[in-house]
Amino acid sequence: MKRLGPGSVRYYFYHEKKLLLIVTLSGILYNVGMIAAPWFDGQLAQCLYDIFAGNRTAADMYVLCLSYALVILGVQSSRYVKRLYVRKFANNISLSMKDILYQHLVQTPKRDMEQADTGALMTKVISDIDTCVEGMRKFTTEIFDTGIVMVTYVVMIAWYDWRLTLCVLVFPPIAYALANSLRRTVAMTAARSKESSGALSGMTLDRISNAMTYRVYGEEAVQDQRYEDYLTDYEKKMILANLWENALQPIYKVIAMIGTILVIWSGGHNVLGTGWETWDIAAFSTYLTCFIRLATKSSHAAKLFNAIQKAQVSWLRIQPHLRAASTLPRTVPPAAPAYLTVRHLSFTYPGSDVPIFQDLSFSARPGDIIGITGPVASGKSTLGLAFLCENPHGGQILFGTQELGNGHTSPKGIAGYCGHDAELFAGTIEENIRLGKGGDIIPVLNAVCMDQDCASFPDGIRTLIGEGGQRLSGGQQARIALARTLFHPRPLLILDDPFAAVDMATERAIYSHLRRDCKDRIILLISHRLTLFPMLDQIIWLNGDGSSIAATHEELYVSCHAYRKLYDLQHAQGGGSHG
Amino acid sequence: MGNVFLQTLRKNSLLLLILILAIIASIAVSITPPLILQYIIDSLVSGAFSTYPLMAAGVLYFTLNAGSGLVDAFKETLITIFGQKITHDLRSAMCRRLDDLPASYFVNHEAGAVTSLLVNDVDTLENLFDSGVVSMIADIFTIFSILAVVFHLSPGLGALICICLPLLFLLTRYFQKRMLQAQRDNRIAVSRTNELIPETVHNIRTIHTCQQERYMRQRYGRTIRDSFEAMERSNFCDSIYSPIIITSCTVIICLMMSLSVSSPSLQELFGMTVGSVVALIAYVRRIFSPLESIGMEIQNIQSAVAGIGRLKDFFAEPVQEKNGTMEPDPAATPLVIGDAAFGYGKEADIFHHFTLIVEAGEMVTITGRTGAGKSTLFKLILGLYRPRQGQVRVFGCDPSRMAAPLRRQVFGYVEQQFHAIHGTVADQISLKDPRVTPEAIEKALHLVGLWDTCHALPQGLATPYKPEFFSRGQGQLLSIARAVVMDPQILLFDEITANLDSLTESQILQALQAVAQNRTVLSISHRLYESQGGRRIVIGDP
Repeated sequence: MKRLGPGSVRYYFYHEKKLLLIVTLSGILYNVGMIAAPWFDGQLAQCLYDIFAGNRTAADMYVLCLSYALVILGVQSSRYVKRLYVRKFANNISLSMKDILYQHLVQTPKRDMEQADTGALMTKVISDIDTCVEGMRKFTTEIFDTGIVMVTYVVMIAWYDWRLTLCVLVFPPIAYALANSLRRTVAMTAARSKESSGALSGMTLDRISNAMTYRVYGEEAVQDQRYEDYLTDYEKKMILANLWENALQPIYKVIAMIGTILVIWSGGHNVLGTGWETWDIAAFSTYLTCFIRLATKSSHAAKLFNAIQKAQVSWLRIQPHLRAASTLPRTVPPAAPAYLTVRHLSFTYPGSDVPIFQDLSFSARPGDIIGITGPVASGKSTLGLAFLCENPHGGQILFGTQELGNGHTSPKGIAGYCGHDAELFAGTIEENIRLGKGGDIIPVLNAVCMDQDCASFPDGIRTLIGEGGQRLSGGQQARIALARTLFHPRPLLILDDPFAAVDMATERAIYSHLRRDCKDRIILLISHRLTLFPMLDQIIWLNGDGSSIAATHEELYVSCHAYRKLYDLQHAQGGGSHG
Repeated sequence: MGNVFLQTLRKNSLLLLILILAIIASIAVSITPPLILQYIIDSLVSGAFSTYPLMAAGVLYFTLNAGSGLVDAFKETLITIFGQKITHDLRSAMCRRLDDLPASYFVNHEAGAVTSLLVNDVDTLENLFDSGVVSMIADIFTIFSILAVVFHLSPGLGALICICLPLLFLLTRYFQKRMLQAQRDNRIAVSRTNELIPETVHNIRTIHTCQQERYMRQRYGRTIRDSFEAMERSNFCDSIYSPIIITSCTVIICLMMSLSVSSPSLQELFGMTVGSVVALIAYVRRIFSPLESIGMEIQNIQSAVAGIGRLKDFFAEPVQEKNGTMEPDPAATPLVIGDAAFGYGKEADIFHHFTLIVEAGEMVTITGRTGAGKSTLFKLILGLYRPRQGQVRVFGCDPSRMAAPLRRQVFGYVEQQFHAIHGTVADQISLKDPRVTPEAIEKALHLVGLWDTCHALPQGLATPYKPEFFSRGQGQLLSIARAVVMDPQILLFDEITANLDSLTESQILQALQAVAQNRTVLSISHRLYESQGGRRIVIGDP
């Protein structure tokens, strides 16, 4: 038999089989018990009739009432159990679906994320999970509350008078058929009103966020007129959608209830002794109540199918994501220091045929710090990213004897990265540096000169930094990102412009700490500021036309005109920060 | 805001009348069927019932039962229409209000928050109206009508219900409050979950290089757990409430029956006949559903009150004088600023004693250190703010009082960044103004050198605008096209080449050269000055 994976609905039902068992037992108990109320109601009337006639005594009534109360207590208790567990069931499924989905998300390669608006997509998928689980819950509930209960009612009333039952049962299916045929109209008007509501929100945001543009150009009145059009459209569609939604239910009910005329007429004859069966008052009352409940239920049946359909649509949207999910990969321990050899490296963005850089070769030993620079848009950051092997590259990157990327060894555990974008999480400074890893974070905070900053915050390293670190200055954000990179040690570090927002003195201090702490690591330092470059072991100059030179600072200064010009320019400004 | 409300009510008074009638009808229809049933059963018991009255009673019973649904639907629809009328008028009024709010309002309030005022808060107001006040009145009347009938049939049961009703109502409110709290907690947890997703996507490189997928899963797991636990609490209340109510109903019925047969005097008090038993049982079951609704309606009203407070604040915001009708005089000097001083709100002056006269066709570059008020000066020229002292005159007229339809023929304004509007690519240039012809748009695009790019889009100029169609530099070119499409006399450029690489910058400078012909140009940009020359004015201390 095929093993059920998270991409199959049955997987979740199977997973929650214990809860489902409880739901089934209590559901059957409750729904069979549903006929108790109409039966007892009838018996009460009958008992009163008998007492008036002198056939029974008050004691009979007490017994009847007590047993009624007890039976209902039992029935409603099992109803409670059923309701609770069906909800637990849905809640559990929602939890595990979300977990599976997140595991999938967190493993998605950067490359794939760039192609689509993954964040928005995933948020939508998660709200789909809620819809889908809600549908699964309703389905499970209604199997009992509609399916079983309707069968019970039908059996009950057929037992009282099968001929009458055959006659009155014609109507609920007609109501159901009508419901089915009108369902699409209802869904369509609902969808239209939703669309119109979305359009109105969009227009509102546009009107407000561009208010100044409209004012400058004197276009406010034009926009107000347009807004009025949207409002009118919204009003119309909302009313229409509401009308359909409100009107349908009573129409089904009317049709399904036509049977009551027959019940009263023919049932009355039964009581009077001139009908198909001989009834007492209890039978009459019970039959009528059961039929009305049956008719009402059947008019609700359409709702059930709507819920299931909605669930199906959302399931189809989440299913590919769930199917693709796999468990998290094993963590690769940090690799030992080794030599880095780069041979004829080139990189071309997928879909383009102009290489950003090509034929770049250099090598480095543990402890080396290599500077990478070049004019604006010469591919400095792209070169740094090549070592993360997110996209295939030309040539070879060898770390020790292992070739990185292009289907060979993954750079996991080898390359550490600190990018332009600090990529901070909404949380505390400490959480951002640790990311769940144990150990002492004070040394890395000192290394990036964040110790004094932290001391000045009221909550120290437990300071909350806000979404994306927005409560911190740019320089603080960059330094926390750098601290995080240092706290997760890797033998090869790529630092893309870590000092862009840091003053000169701090830059020098951090540099000396890097020299001190990273004796067995290779650091590739990408920067447009050349202050530190005379002290670096090697410089890679990217010309911007794809070619490049790897040499020491002194050699480059002599041989490369563009490098000398840039260096002198910055030097003349006192090592300036304009780059 | 109260005005808007009253006006809407007055405008739709007929609708209001029909609504009231519909509510009365719906109550009447919903309480009569048990009475008919009582009549049928009592007649059956007495044995004196023939075919035709039986048939008639059956039809009447069916009609009332079935009709109650239809009347309800009619009532609901009327309520919706009414609610929609009110929100429509309110939103219109708010939108018109936007025109009168000073520029500082838009600077001090986030667009998202103001939008939520117009979208969400007005929606809660609608809820207050239809699923709050109106429904609550209808429900209260339903309860009282049922009670009246019950008292009439059986004073004993009436008393019994009067005792139980408040208790059950308190119970209902208790559960509803707990559920609301749980749902609130859940929503908070869900919104935190939703924040984690874009964050994860944004930071995925860090997660991968640090190999912290497990940690991230745990972190996410914690927030979904919170939501899970909140849901569990809400589920408990949700599951137990309805069984309690139904059990209570049954106990009341049993109590009524037991008491009514226990002694002759009590039997009189309960006034039982076989038919009334059936009818009363039906009433007992009916009285609890409006009770539950009232609880919900109280909640709706409570949550709407906060929204109303915010809407009131919005209408209480100070407004500026309405846009005037002054017309610029083409023969006057394009720009005269005389001894002007300005500062925002209660802050100190940013500049004072600033004087500048710009003649037609002149090219002027404003320079000064950061914060000296270069961009602010532009806002004064555009009439978004008024100077504290001195005066600003554009073609002889106060720019803040200039007739709105004429503004585009006077000003073209380009900022550091392109602000896209919702709509097609052509709308970006016309701002949906019907006066802007397709030819004018084409001409403007040719002028800035963007025609080929726009023309190559899937549906040409009619393509819905998406930011990814254009680079930053091209966005600025669109801004320039927007500024010049109605052939303005004065162009204002505020650092329009900031944050651009040199290639794009040269493209934009080229476009500027093209559009600056025969126009008066003011700019805040060194590069423009370097490439085009003109007069240089320093604002603030040099």
